[in-house]
Amino acid sequence: MSKLVLRDVSKTYGATVALSHGDLTLEAGEVHVLIGSNGSGKSTLCKIVAGSVRPDSGRVEIDGKPVAISGPQAARTLGIGIFYQELSLAARRTVEENICLSDLPMKAGLFIDRATLSDRAARYIALFDGVTGEGFAADAPVDTLRADQRQLVEIMKTLASEAPILIFDEPTSALDRAQVDRFFEILRGLKNDSRTIVFISHRMDEIFAIGDRVTIIRDGRTISSMAIADTQPPALIRLMVGEKEELASASAPAPAPDAGKTALAVSGLSGPGFANVGFDLKHGEILGFGGLHGQGQSAALRALFGANPYVSGTVSLAGHPVRIATPAEAIRQGFAYVSGDRRRDGVITGRSILENVTPIHFLRRRLALVRPGALRKAAEPAISAMKTRFAGFSHPIDSLSGGNQQKVVIARWLIDRPDILLLDDPTKGIDLSAKADLFALIRELAAHGMAIILYSSEDAELLANADRILVFNGGRPVRELTGEDRTRYNLYQAAYEAAFGAA
Amino acid sequence: MNGIPPLFRQPLAIALLLIAVLLVLGEQLSPGFASMQQILRLLIVAALLGIVAAGQNLVILGGREGIDLSVGGIISLSAIIAGNLMNGADAGIPLAIAGCIVAGAFFGLLNGLGVTLLRIPPLVMTLGMLGVLQGLLVVIRNGIPSGRAAPVLSQFVTQPVLFGLPGIIWLWIAVGLLMAFLLRRTVFGQRIYAIGSNEHAAIMAGVPAARIRILLFVLSGVFAAIAGICLLGYSGSSFANVGEQYMLPSIIAVVFGGTSLAGGKGGYTGTMAGAVMLVVLQSILTTINIEESGRQMIFGATLLVLMLFYGRGRAMRT
Repeated sequence: MSKLVLRDVSKTYGATVALSHGDLTLEAGEVHVLIGSNGSGKSTLCKIVAGSVRPDSGRVEIDGKPVAISGPQAARTLGIGIFYQELSLAARRTVEENICLSDLPMKAGLFIDRATLSDRAARYIALFDGVTGEGFAADAPVDTLRADQRQLVEIMKTLASEAPILIFDEPTSALDRAQVDRFFEILRGLKNDSRTIVFISHRMDEIFAIGDRVTIIRDGRTISSMAIADTQPPALIRLMVGEKEELASASAPAPAPDAGKTALAVSGLSGPGFANVGFDLKHGEILGFGGLHGQGQSAALRALFGANPYVSGTVSLAGHPVRIATPAEAIRQGFAYVSGDRRRDGVITGRSILENVTPIHFLRRRLALVRPGALRKAAEPAISAMKTRFAGFSHPIDSLSGGNQQKVVIARWLIDRPDILLLDDPTKGIDLSAKADLFALIRELAAHGMAIILYSSEDAELLANADRILVFNGGRPVRELTGEDRTRYNLYQAAYEAAFGAA
Repeated sequence: MNGIPPLFRQPLAIALLLIAVLLVLGEQLSPGFASMQQILRLLIVAALLGIVAAGQNLVILGGREGIDLSVGGIISLSAIIAGNLMNGADAGIPLAIAGCIVAGAFFGLLNGLGVTLLRIPPLVMTLGMLGVLQGLLVVIRNGIPSGRAAPVLSQFVTQPVLFGLPGIIWLWIAVGLLMAFLLRRTVFGQRIYAIGSNEHAAIMAGVPAARIRILLFVLSGVFAAIAGICLLGYSGSSFANVGEQYMLPSIIAVVFGGTSLAGGKGGYTGTMAGAVMLVVLQSILTTINIEESGRQMIFGATLLVLMLFYGRGRAMRT
């Protein structure tokens, strides 16, 4: 009898089908790998097992009995332990307290039983003896630890749940080679104890090193499940991307007047969430950032724009090194940044359309006074270039549809044109016609010599619009795809590739 | 905004309507309440409150829980500094004005730095500053006399100077015009609304949010200092904690005038009407012999009732 079975589960968010036919069968004593492209439904399936998302339909069985995983608490009672990719640690508490956090031993039902807590935590800390690194101690507060050490604590915490089913969603992203090896040893031990392990990783080498079986998800459906021993990486990628081969843009863009001149050179850029990012970007070029979600693409773009700090590396504009610490400085240097999270990063809520279009103009022209007539005149061409539908400049921006709001946000960069445009998943949550308008504009801007970086979580968008694609994995660019190589297959092969120089 | 009764969607209209109703009511209770002379007296008091509320208004518009509880302390300090620097002589006025503005700006700057660099919530920062100022006032009082207003200053505040209106009312009108210009016609004003509405998006659009927020607290300190000078002229000499009674009303006037406590929405015109309304209300309460303690309770309750109505817009926003 299978340990856990998901049969034909589905989940819809509004008009978006996240998962249409999800099937998953987990056996006792196996490491089961889940793979899928961006938006395939892999993380939705995982969340359903974890109880953080409730399916619209379908059946869930544990040990042959139908169950309802109604929430994270219910998942725990049913014997499911989850490693959270976004670390769920209490920063000011110690390592041992965090390990036992979900089940603190109590004395007299009121006080924490320190001795039992230390004993219990020590068992899990001992598993990683020798690879925890300097500064790691049972009584060290978690916020004093390095990223890899925090990830180890998260793993220990998951192991401490002693659940029969353990789900690890990218548990190795910050770990070094020795730590990964040790973790895999522990997983093999658990497997021999008949525990069930779900493993999600963006490293093909890891998948083949530890996986017993693999389930491939594509377009909201479970495509196939098979034994790892019966397959090879190319076959898996083929299954993941499907037969339809989306080709890169056929027509090369017309060369811009100053095409060929380097607009932006970045090397060795490292910071929170990204490492060793380097590239040259020419005028008139659209450089794509690709790979699976959250592999450092956004973090690197935000660092270039001065919105996030970077620790090391150099950035030079047209050959001159610059150090950018705030968005205002970046804007003065000729950068523009459009975020897909427009409610957080873009829209100035509750204010008029005019007020939403003008801030960059104010900054770049160093204006002190507002002259509405002149501003309207300046904003008119920018906003009509985006084919924005709106009733009047004085209307609140909240009165527009999502796509039109994003157009207004983009229009603010077009009054005084930037040299370098950073697009951070700019089409997230906007309608198809707005997307088409946006990409037509981007191509035109590039044709006029603007240097553009496009990160998109939609592979088709990226393949159709980027001249070159830098594929990220684990915060690092792992491969560059140019010309005929820009295919979905290569994109995913690279997305599952180990990072250059990763230990 | 559906949760708000239609009447409350036009704060300025409500304030004006309430002022009219209160004046008629006052005239009924005590004939002569709405006489020209009496109304002028009320307007002088409203101007004092309105000038304080201008700074309060700016800080609140800037968002991130912006509020300045230290204005009462700055008013009192300013009144003492002014009283000592002029000490009854007109010649001391320029120095007094300069000294007060520097002091107000200094404490405002400390507030602003605490709120931005140290990330102390404005409520806590300015409450702490109020405590510091109150202590400072006790120390000052033990060492030096309170000083007296210069005759010209007293005249400016209490006697007609132009078209039958006292100078302070002209000053308030000027503050009103300045605020309208600042908020509607300057980039600085637009940036205040931007950081009050969505600070993160504003920063991403190149708005120097921290610098602006510091400046808002500085301006609040300066407006409070100016009000302190005028208050000295109004009462002739300063007395202990003379400014304290302005703190709560300055906030109520802003909220009553339609400025959202969440920031990013509102303006000064409504605040001016709110200030007049509060002063008329206070006067009626005095007329019907309600004690200071009772007036305080009614003011506090007014703010809470206002929050009940206006606060909903905010809850729905986030």
